[in-house]
Amino acid sequence: MTEADKLALLKDLLLTDDRAYAESIHTKIKALEDLVHKQQKLSKKVNPIIDEKLEEFTEQIPETLGPTITEALAEQIKNSKDQVVEALYPIMGKMIKKYIAQEISLLTERINKQLEDSFSANSWKRKFKSWFGGVKEEELLLSELRSISKVEQVLVIEKNSGMLIGQYATTETIDKDMISGMLTAIKSFVEDAFNEKSQNLELIEYELYHIHIQSFVSFYVAVAISGEYNLIFKNKLQDIIFNFTENFLNLFNDLSEIKEADITNELEFYFSTNENL
Amino acid sequence: MKTSKKIILLGHFGVGKSSLIRQFVENTFTNDYKVTIGVHILKKEVELAPEEKISLIIWDLEGYDDIKKTRASYLLGTHGFIYVFDVTRPATFENLENDITYLTNQYANTPLKVVGNKADLVTKSYLKENKDTFGVAPDFFTSAKTGDKVDDLFITLAKELVK
Repeated sequence: MTEADKLALLKDLLLTDDRAYAESIHTKIKALEDLVHKQQKLSKKVNPIIDEKLEEFTEQIPETLGPTITEALAEQIKNSKDQVVEALYPIMGKMIKKYIAQEISLLTERINKQLEDSFSANSWKRKFKSWFGGVKEEELLLSELRSISKVEQVLVIEKNSGMLIGQYATTETIDKDMISGMLTAIKSFVEDAFNEKSQNLELIEYELYHIHIQSFVSFYVAVAISGEYNLIFKNKLQDIIFNFTENFLNLFNDLSEIKEADITNELEFYFSTNENL
Repeated sequence: MKTSKKIILLGHFGVGKSSLIRQFVENTFTNDYKVTIGVHILKKEVELAPEEKISLIIWDLEGYDDIKKTRASYLLGTHGFIYVFDVTRPATFENLENDITYLTNQYANTPLKVVGNKADLVTKSYLKENKDTFGVAPDFFTSAKTGDKVDDLFITLAKELVK
């Protein structure tokens, strides 16, 4: 046995354990490399941990982020009150109006019951029409009420300045800009006079004409009506104005951006036929 | 797009606010004095340049001795002010400086023109000599009766409003 063989033998005896250990580490590293580089395998291992952490995080959101989010929202609403009210106004208005409409229909039903007991010529005429025409008597009564009301002019007016934003008219009147200004002055005067800033003037009457006024945050809509102005008509009118506001005006952040002709077209679409009312 | 601007005329009773507006809008003048109650609104379309028109919606407010008593809701959204005093009645300009300070503080970004009206009742040298007694140097001396400087006043303000 040469010196070199002896040394090799000694090395073998001394380093056997280390080599085995190094080999096992190498195998583990290989396995890890394999795991890290193959997404599917890694996902299998990591996903349950992430899911668990996410679940924990979701559970903790109300406690950890809740107050911060609430505070941020409160601050945002406080700083943009007008925009929030502008956005909610038609929705709230519709909700309230639906309730009122329900109440009105109940009232109508009660009136109909009373009408059944009446023996006036008109009542008999309506009854005959209803029997032969196959139309409900209350519907005939409503259409009779509708036919005696007519929208003459609709004005959309900036609330503070009284400047006309847009208008639609079936009959020509004196200058619309001047009407808008005067209506705003009258409205401001009445609202100031009773010192009730939160209350709005809603109706002006003169002989056979009525001006229905519906206020929003930054503007109001004034509708001149000839003929009968009753609750049913008012109700329909309010719905149309809410729809017009929600579907058209609310699409714009700044009302001065809207062309007057576009407003006129939209108003014509909503108000042109009395069938709508 | 149509350009419309709201202008408000302010000042004491009887200084000629309504007469100035009538002269500008209708080219008429009457010596009969009718006090304005509340507010009266008139409109005039003005051509500032070819293809450039502006509608002036002019609010003629009733006169007040104290500007602070003017109904604030009428002043909302105003694009321009015209403060009118009567050059022959010291009572109408003795608080001019305070009134103008009040207006410029409350409506800092709104153009304002100060006008001494009824200039036809005094001489030019009187106006020149008494310029300092008004408290604030007027932008115009007008006469609603003769129409002198009335169009200039409204057109100058209109031009400022469309800048």
